[in-house]
Formats: sequence, C-alpha cells, structure tokens
Amino acid sequence: MSQVETKLRETIKELLDRGEVDLVVGHEAGSLPLRSRPVFIRDAADVDRLVWGSTCSNNLATHLPRLFVRPKNSRAEYAPPTVGIVAKGCDARSVLGLVKEHQLPRDKVVIIGVPCAGMIDIRKAEESLDGARIIAAQEEAGTFKVETTAGEKVLTLAEMLADGCAECSHPTAPEADVVIEGDARPAAGERYLQVEAFEAMTAEERWDHFTSEISRCIRCYACRQVCPNCYCVTCFADQTKPRWIGAADELSDLMAFHIGRIFHQAGRCVECDACVRACPMDIDLRVFTQKLPKDVEALYGYVAGVSAEGVPALLTFSENDDQGFISEP
Amino acid sequence: MKRGKIDKADLGKLLVAVSETAQCAGPVADRVGVKLEMLSADSALELAYDNFALSPKLWFFPRSEVIASGTGDALETTLLPEGETVLFGLRPCDAAALELLDKIFLDEAYLDPYYKNRRQNTTVVALACNEPDAACFCTSVGGGPGAGAGADVIAFDLGDALLFEALTDKGKALLTQHEKLLNAPTGDDDAAKTKVIADAGAKLKPVKTDGLADKLSGLFDAPVWEVIGERCVGCGTCTYLCPTCHCFGIYDEKAGEQVQRIRTQDACMFPQFTLEASGHNPRDTQGVRARQRVMHKFSYTVDNVGETFCVGCGRCVVHCPVNIDIREILEEVAA
Amino acid sequence: MTQSNPYLPLPVTIEKITIENEAKDLKTFRLRFQSDEDASSFKYECGQFAMLSIAGAGESPIGIASSPLDEGILEFTVKRYPTGVVTTALHNFDEGETIGVRGPYGNAYPLEQMEGSNLVIVSGGFAFTTLRSTIRYLLDDSQRSRFKKITVIYGARSPGELLYKDELAEWENRDDIEMVVTVDKGDEGWSGREGFVPTVLQEVSPSAENAYVLVCGPPIMLKFTMPPLLEMGFPPSRIITSLERKMTCGIGKCGRCNVGSKYVCKDGPVFTYEQLQQIPEAVL
Repeated sequence: MSQVETKLRETIKELLDRGEVDLVVGHEAGSLPLRSRPVFIRDAADVDRLVWGSTCSNNLATHLPRLFVRPKNSRAEYAPPTVGIVAKGCDARSVLGLVKEHQLPRDKVVIIGVPCAGMIDIRKAEESLDGARIIAAQEEAGTFKVETTAGEKVLTLAEMLADGCAECSHPTAPEADVVIEGDARPAAGERYLQVEAFEAMTAEERWDHFTSEISRCIRCYACRQVCPNCYCVTCFADQTKPRWIGAADELSDLMAFHIGRIFHQAGRCVECDACVRACPMDIDLRVFTQKLPKDVEALYGYVAGVSAEGVPALLTFSENDDQGFISEP
Repeated sequence: MKRGKIDKADLGKLLVAVSETAQCAGPVADRVGVKLEMLSADSALELAYDNFALSPKLWFFPRSEVIASGTGDALETTLLPEGETVLFGLRPCDAAALELLDKIFLDEAYLDPYYKNRRQNTTVVALACNEPDAACFCTSVGGGPGAGAGADVIAFDLGDALLFEALTDKGKALLTQHEKLLNAPTGDDDAAKTKVIADAGAKLKPVKTDGLADKLSGLFDAPVWEVIGERCVGCGTCTYLCPTCHCFGIYDEKAGEQVQRIRTQDACMFPQFTLEASGHNPRDTQGVRARQRVMHKFSYTVDNVGETFCVGCGRCVVHCPVNIDIREILEEVAA
Repeated sequence: MTQSNPYLPLPVTIEKITIENEAKDLKTFRLRFQSDEDASSFKYECGQFAMLSIAGAGESPIGIASSPLDEGILEFTVKRYPTGVVTTALHNFDEGETIGVRGPYGNAYPLEQMEGSNLVIVSGGFAFTTLRSTIRYLLDDSQRSRFKKITVIYGARSPGELLYKDELAEWENRDDIEMVVTVDKGDEGWSGREGFVPTVLQEVSPSAENAYVLVCGPPIMLKFTMPPLLEMGFPPSRIITSLERKMTCGIGKCGRCNVGSKYVCKDGPVFTYEQLQQIPEAVL
C-alpha cells in the first residue's frame, strides 16, 4: 500500500469521525484485475476499502448530484448531506463546473485532492500481451506486476497511460478543501495532439472516420450516464414530444445523438475520458469530444472547471468575441 | 453426417462451400476485437477470441427493425428476410441464450413472426471454448465451455483442427451437405476434445447459485438494492450486451405520409422504461431498477418459464462502467 | 387472437365520439370493424383491454368500455394526457376516420366464479370504464338472472367529470340495480350525494355475505378503499381489481408491464387482492 493511500484513509477517517462529512465518495478495488470502482463510505470503519492508484479512473463527480436530491413527498425539513469526494484534477473540475451550473452546493462538497500520476488504459495493457489473458495484477509505484495466462509480466504506467492523461492540463484538484500530498504527474506541455491530427485530415477523411466510428454506437447511453455534465432529467435524446431523435439504428439518428451530446459539452467538458472508457464499443469519442474544449479555449480563452467563480463560456458573451465563424453570404 | 473433422487450414474452403447455398457469418477481426460478420471472399477469419462484444441475439432480435409500415392510417407487415443463414462461431453461452429467447418469442400463444422467421432459417454452429475469460461463469448457471444447448452443430478447437458434432437434424443436414470436405474423427480426437473442455472448465471460477430463485423472493426489500443503485449510473450497457435480455419498445416514425412502426431494444435500467404519461413511475429509484434486473433474470423467469435468464457470458461484468459484478450480487444473495 | 401476426392492428372506423366530461379531455370512441371477419375474430370479455393503434403516433392500452354483447362495435373511453403522444393524437381524430385495434388482451373479471353471488362495484374517476362494460353486460336480459343483488358506488371529482351520464340516469331508474353516485364536491345544479368514494362506501356498507367486490380507481382511492372493504368482511380472494402499467406489446414479451413476475397484460390486468398480497412489487 502506498503512502498516499495510507494518508488518504487516515484523512477520511478523521473527516468522518469529526463529522465534517456525512459520506465520502472514493474508489475501491474492482472485481476484475486492473479495475477499481466507486465506493460510498459512510462509516469510518469502512475506510480501509478505499484505494488510490492508477486504476482509479472513474470520474466520481457523476455520483454527486443524486446525493443532493430532496426526497419526494416529504414534509420534513431537508438537510443536505456534506459529501467528500476523492478528487483528481478532472473530478474536481467537474465538481466546480456543476457548482457553477447550480447542480451542487459548494459549501456542502469537500474536495479531497489526491496526487494523480495518470490512469492506465486497460486496452493498452491487453494489447501488449499478445493474446494472453490477465489473471491478476498488483500496482506499486508506477509499475504493475501482472499475472497472465502466459506467465508474469511487468508493465509500467508509462506503457499503459491513457491518451487523455498524456495530455492532462490539471492532474491535481483546483480549489481542493483538503490536500493529500504526493507526486502528481506534471501538467502536459503538448496538448490536443490527436485532435490536431484529426483536424489535419481532409473533410472527407474526417467524415469517414466519424461515420465509421459512430456507426458502432448501440445507444446504450453509457457515455451520457457516466458524464458529470449530463444531468438533464430528460435528455433530448429521450424526449417523445417532440421526438428529436429517431429510435431506430439509422446512422443519422446515431450521429444526431452524438453531435448533440458533444456540442452540449462546449465550455463544460473537462476531458476526463469517462465517456471513452465507458463505451462498450470502443468508439473513438475522445477525438470528437475534445475538439469542443479546444475550440472554446482558443476562441474565448475559457477552460472549464478550474474555478468555482466566473460564468461558463456559453452562458455569456462579450463584444470582442471571435466572429470568424460568420462567413460572407 | 453426425461428426466430422477439418484441418484449420481448410476451414476457409468449408465456409466458402457453405456460402454457396446460404449466407454465412463467422468471426472476423475488427478494429477492436472480433465480431460476427457476414463472410466475403476476403474476410479475415479469426478463431482466437474470447467472445464477440455484441451478443449474437442481434441476429434474431436486432437492435432495431421495422415491424410494419404504411401510408396514412394503414399499416402492413414489412417483408421478412428470406434465405438460409449459417452462423459460425457462437460461444456455447450465446447459443444457450437462444434457447432461452425462444421461450419468450416462440411462445405458442403469441408467436413472434419476425424472430421465428430468422430462427427457423438459421443454422447455429457453436464454437466451444478452450480458454474462459476472467469474467466467465457459465458452469455456475447450468452451462459449460462445451455445452451444446441452442446450437445445431458444435465445433471443438483441437489445435490444428476443428471437430464438428451435429446436435440437431438441421445440424446433421449441414454436415451431410458438406461431408466431402470433412474427415472422420479418430479416438485421439475424442480424447483431445474431452481434455480441452475439461481444462477450460477447470479454469472457471465457480459462483454460488444454489437456491438462488427461492432466496431472491425473500429479498425484495433488502438494503442491497439501494447500495447497488447508488453506484449504478443507469445506462443500458449490461442490458444491451446481455445475450438473454429481450425487453423492447415500439415507436412510430413519420416522414411525410410514410409511417414506420419500429421495434427497438430497450432496458429496464433506464429511468423512463416504466414512466407513465401521468408522470407516475412505479420504479423510480435506480436501486429499484437494479433489483428488477436481477429479479427478472434470476427469479421471475424461473417462475414463468422455469429457466434462469443468465448464461454466464460475463459481458455485463467486463463492461459495466462502475464495475457492478453480478457474480458478487449472486453470491451475496445465495449466502 | 386476431391475426397470425400479433403485432398488426385491425383497422376500425370511428363511428361516434362522445365528449364525456366538462374538461373535455375524456372522450368515448365508438369503433366499428371494417369487415365481419374482423368483428367476429375479436371476441372479448368484461375487464379485458385492447391496444389502440394510431399509425405515426403509436399504441396505447385502453380498457374496453363496451359490453361483449354490443355487436360489431367496440367502445373505449380515453383520457388525453398532454404528455401522451397517442392519447393526444387520438383526441384529434374525427368521426369517420380510421385507427387500429389489437386485442383483446389480458384476463377478464371472473364472472363465472361470481355467478349466484351479490356484486358490489366500487369505482372512481375514469377507472370506471371496464366496470361500465361489466354493468352493461350484467344488466342484459340474458345475464341478469345469473347474479343476485348488484350495488354500484361510483364517484368523480365533480358532477361535470362523471362519465356515461345518460346511462347512469337510466340505471338509477332501474330496480334491479342499486346505484349510488357521488361527487367529491357538488355544484349549484347538483342535488345528489357528496363525499369521497371510500366514505360513501362505508355509509352504504354493502353486506359482504355471499358477495364479491369489483374495485377500480386511481391509486389514492384504492389506498383508502381497501382497508374498509377488508373491515366490512370481504375476504381478499373476493376483492377484485384491475392494475395499470405502461405497456408496449400487450402480449407478454416486451417486459415493460411486469409487476413482480406477473405480466399485467397477460396474467392481469384483473387480479384479486389476495394475489396482489403475494407480489411484493404490487404496492397496495
């Protein structure tokens, strides 16, 4: 167990014992090798379930808004809980984004910042094994001892680093209320490399890539459900009056859903890769979705979720906003 | 012909021969993984795979299909696909799932013509498993790496050769049709087959499932459901990837005067699955919806058709974005 | 079963539309089959429902309000929900136009079992529709002698919201049925009873001896009606109700209408209170 993990457990135990939080959302070991999963700790006796490492990729902010929903048909005085969240940079940025959109009360969320060295992409681990299967894995300081059907192998974080983490601009939580010290990865110098490679393609190539990727979509909505920004009670994709998107497998319907969802991320997406990881069909969502924060940063100088202050980019305008999109008729 | 063997090097020839009188689908390498696809002359056949990401139920119960269409007020059934199809490469779990789906869609009282048409025109050739995946648990739900339920023929991978065994008349007919390309299996082949299946079975991690249906019926109000519900994000991944899940919706779409009535897969995990026009939702928390999924597959279907609707394929375990593991839930219940 | 393809509706012509209530969001549609063959293939019993199909909008499960003895036609009383795609579309149809019908589906009120008994019918709001079918059927000369005393307690929010007003008046004039009609709140023109259905039920206090009770109403009414019925001595096996759930296929396949292991469309919608007590998911 790493020092950070120990410190994390101690800190959360203290917070719970002192009543400073009612519950903490963190990560625990998953039931499959190289996986972790969200855990909701309410009892200080359970803190030993918490883990911290490079498999803790879920964006936990997704689980927060539901914790603040007033119970229906209750006349009792509603007392919202105080919720702690074990936060990488992306988790915290999502929290701050939700605060700005009035989905979370800032004073009831305790951001517990943890040092993020980057997350692994399990697919990269699997691909490096030439068909052998992973039986078990043990993480220690940036390396993974992996037991496979073809013997033991050591894989490094660097070999398995998720593409999103390689370009991460905020490995640690902005505006953390509690900080667990440790070595985080540095903020990426070069960013948006994949998006730029996509932009450099011809329009036809880009359309082909978009079409072939999106045609794999099975409308499971995992991308939407894991995204902290997708909190609409009724998503536009599910409305029946009017029915914005057809129910069938028509490519145009699949595209309409993704185009709609991706554009709804403008000025909001924190590039956490939750949608990419959740997609069971391995659709290359990253390259399409990441274009939105890239453009918003370029056009308006706005980066999502780095502070609880300020107005989200698409909720305001200024006179000197870029007008390059207006073309000559 | 009841049994036949073919060298893997000649498998392509066999599939070409099959394609002459039927549409033939088999495992083809994809950008990520292997998928079940209609074979063409230059298909890259791939036999080293865990399982297809999408279950083959889609060949009989597609994600969406037009069940009726028309102009104005009148609706007629659309023409159903015709022609024989041979599906090669279904894992035994996915083949067994077809038998379960038959109990719903081929129920005599209301025969589903769309499903029936595809099912009766299709010959299923399963491919037994030599190596289970981390999340497989077929033997814990009445299946096995070499089990033949739902298949017309089952193939065993003996290393350099495939051994085919017919399980139904349809299967026998298929092997007989191509017997010139098949050789008689030897005693060694049988021994190899037995060993391969036994080895695979031994690698499976068993999940306790005794008395599950009975225990579940007493757990309706247990706190476990809200614990699962707290983590569950309410997507449809588990449902859509599951080989036995079959809930569906029917929607009408209009383009001018043209109307199409479309059936699509649906998921009880979605909040709006049971949402009524009045705004009332009988299942209004994610915990209650998670409970419905588990109860439906492990208790209600046992009550109604005498079968558990889970074949232990493990897809839901591998792909759940929050790692909700049905095996853990079952063990907690069966305890 | 009407056709070899259970998903295809039969075409029917809208013969008559009656606006039932003041709010004008409840209409009774009288539908006529377009061929004798279709008509004779649709044999139903009281309590069953059908899927009303509108090409381009979809389908909706509605209880059958006509009596099985009404030849060649079907009647459905449908409430328009602003959020409902199908009910809204249906309310825009005119007499003479064509819609579709699939069915009959579900089980029926167990009239054979109830033969020779007294019947108490308790209902509120527009859940009254399949009970109206039942009353029309029971009062037919060919059926009336099969049953003993029939008591009906039916209420609506206000006088304008009562359904089948002409028929109610007709039945009140008969001496082979006791009609107790009530409203939650009357208006100047109302000289009849005032009071919630559960309260009026207790005032009327029908005898539970050799009796069955058919009760249909909104969840809130059922919540306050079941306890007095049990107190009055009606055994749970003789309290009969009809459940509603959102439905899609109506034939026990799509999984949408499950209550526990039961399909409301196939094992129901008619259930006894005793059966519901065995189903944890049926919140009573």
